[in-house]
Amino acid sequence: MFAHIFMNRLRCLLRDKETIFWTFAFPLALSLFFYLALSNIGKGETFQEIDIAVVNDSRYQEDLYFKTALEEASKGEDRLFDLTLATEEEAGKLLENGSIKGYIKAGDQIELVVKESGMYQSIIKSFLDNYSQTFKAVETVLRNDPKKYQEVMESLKDRKNYVKEVPTAGGKPDIVINYFYTLIAMACMYGSFFGMRETSDIQADISPLAARINIAPVHKLKAFLSSICASMLIHLVVMLALLGFIRYVLNIDFGPRTGYVLLTMVIGSITGVFFGAFVSALVKKSEGIKVAVLIGVSMLGSFLAGMMYIDIKYLISMNVPFLSWINPVNLLTDAFYSLYYLDDLSRYALNIGVLSGFATLFCVLTYLILRRRKYAGL
Amino acid sequence: MIVKVRNLVKRYGDLIALDHLSFSIKEGEIFGLLGPNGSGKTTAINCILSLLKYDKGEIEVFGEPMTPEAYHIKRNIGIVMQNVAVFNELTVYENIDYFCGLYIKDKNLKKQLVEETIEFTGLNEYRNFRPKKLSGGLLRRLNIACGIAHKPKLIILDEPTVAVDPQSRNKILEGIRKLNSKGATIIYTSHYMEEVEQICSRIMIIDKGKAIATGTKEELKAMISLGEKITVESYDVSGEQLARLKQLPNIVSVEYSNPLIEIKSSKGKNNLENVLEFIKKENIPFGKIYSELPTLNDVFLEITGKELRD
Repeated sequence: MFAHIFMNRLRCLLRDKETIFWTFAFPLALSLFFYLALSNIGKGETFQEIDIAVVNDSRYQEDLYFKTALEEASKGEDRLFDLTLATEEEAGKLLENGSIKGYIKAGDQIELVVKESGMYQSIIKSFLDNYSQTFKAVETVLRNDPKKYQEVMESLKDRKNYVKEVPTAGGKPDIVINYFYTLIAMACMYGSFFGMRETSDIQADISPLAARINIAPVHKLKAFLSSICASMLIHLVVMLALLGFIRYVLNIDFGPRTGYVLLTMVIGSITGVFFGAFVSALVKKSEGIKVAVLIGVSMLGSFLAGMMYIDIKYLISMNVPFLSWINPVNLLTDAFYSLYYLDDLSRYALNIGVLSGFATLFCVLTYLILRRRKYAGL
Repeated sequence: MIVKVRNLVKRYGDLIALDHLSFSIKEGEIFGLLGPNGSGKTTAINCILSLLKYDKGEIEVFGEPMTPEAYHIKRNIGIVMQNVAVFNELTVYENIDYFCGLYIKDKNLKKQLVEETIEFTGLNEYRNFRPKKLSGGLLRRLNIACGIAHKPKLIILDEPTVAVDPQSRNKILEGIRKLNSKGATIIYTSHYMEEVEQICSRIMIIDKGKAIATGTKEELKAMISLGEKITVESYDVSGEQLARLKQLPNIVSVEYSNPLIEIKSSKGKNNLENVLEFIKKENIPFGKIYSELPTLNDVFLEITGKELRD
């Protein structure tokens, strides 16, 4: 009997275009949209070397300290500047035609010539200020107490770091991935459409089809279990396909913990399916209203988890943490986030624990409603 | 007795849907539950099927109390719901196979029964169609096929011909007779008195949850005083003539709605002959004249004071 109901249910669900659209096609299309819309975010913030020129006159050639400092800052892969040696006239032309952001004139007072002010110009100025201050500090020490030279040099190297280092799971900081995590979390919750169908097709007071199944010599919960297993299987396959698409086609990184990522997806999918089953059992309204409720709750959850505007997630976490903990989409997003960024699994475990609690709660409440064998009205 | 219902009471708040309803159905009968919409027919069926809680009463099916867990009883019941209850995503064949499979575990037997049912309901050429592609009549036939494929001993058909074209309706009624001739006991609910009259061996008329009369159609008609209904088509008849017509023996009422004179008479001999003689004597010009025996609607009308169609 299990196989009979299960197989037929698979057929029904796979041919249900509306459910497949919401659970698979819609998140897939949305992920593609995210990819196209967000792929340039972050790239614009990648640091580019600053094109500068220095007036190659005798003052520059004689100021060995400054010359060395500037050459050091223009060497290697992580260089700050792309340096050009030029006459003042050439440097002026380069600045005029936009080839450089500014040019430097060495001397007792180092001068910076720029055409406009902006981030790059500020960086050049900051570099020059830093050099002048350091140089003056060393010069003063040497003049007053040459014995302290070594001590000063050591203190210059030993800059205090006020940022605490947290062990990471190896994920590179990327603002975009959070959008995809919320999208996957939303897709997990869209499993609620499957759950809704299962409850509608087993509650005799909801549909004539369910009444017919209730009249058959099959234990109601056995029939429900067979059906919901079919739903769960399809939803997991759909989610796996979505995850595969995002990971391998859109190249969104989930970090090295694939097993945990899959576990998160499985628990998220179970939560989604039982959430739909519960809402459908509870809300004795038309299917349209139930669909509206499910979409509304999932979208609101996704919004609060930062799907449309990333800062919302942090605002909610800081100001209304309770809302973060009762939002399954946020719990899922946070679980993916923890797996990607954090070496320690405690935050992940907490998210998954709470989410599993929700899944269990929805499952138990659905059972309590469904176990009714006779109805007060049909 | 296949079904025994005693003192069944079902309330929806203040509304009494079933008011001490009692009836029995014998094996091999086509038992008709006739009543207007909202009279309690479907509620009674849902109580028999143990889908609906009821406030009072006892229900036995196949001699045993009916409960939701009585799977051995359910195995022998087939239900055809008022609303079409099939899966839109499954084909005709798959739908019948699915519902048959809920009752029959043996795969070969199930296959055989499904094929027989498709043949029986005339759905063979539509076996691979999805329900949305079927006409209203074919959809009703599919609905019936899903309810009878497992060859139940008791088949309950709840208004199976609603919104069905006459051709499909006749096929459905013919099919029900065939099922009955093969040994199935049938409960047939309808508000179409002609259908009930046509196929039911025994009828219970129900109104406001109460059984108002039970018997064969002949027995029911014998319960009322109306013997004959004579209709005369005439464009020229005076009020005095109609008043004199009413004075004839056995005539109960005379109503004129141009051009039809409707004459109701009580049981008795020569009623039509007397009317014809009167028309001849009075020189009333007339077209058609026809006489009808009372219908179940007349039975309902006389007992409740309202039309069954209301």
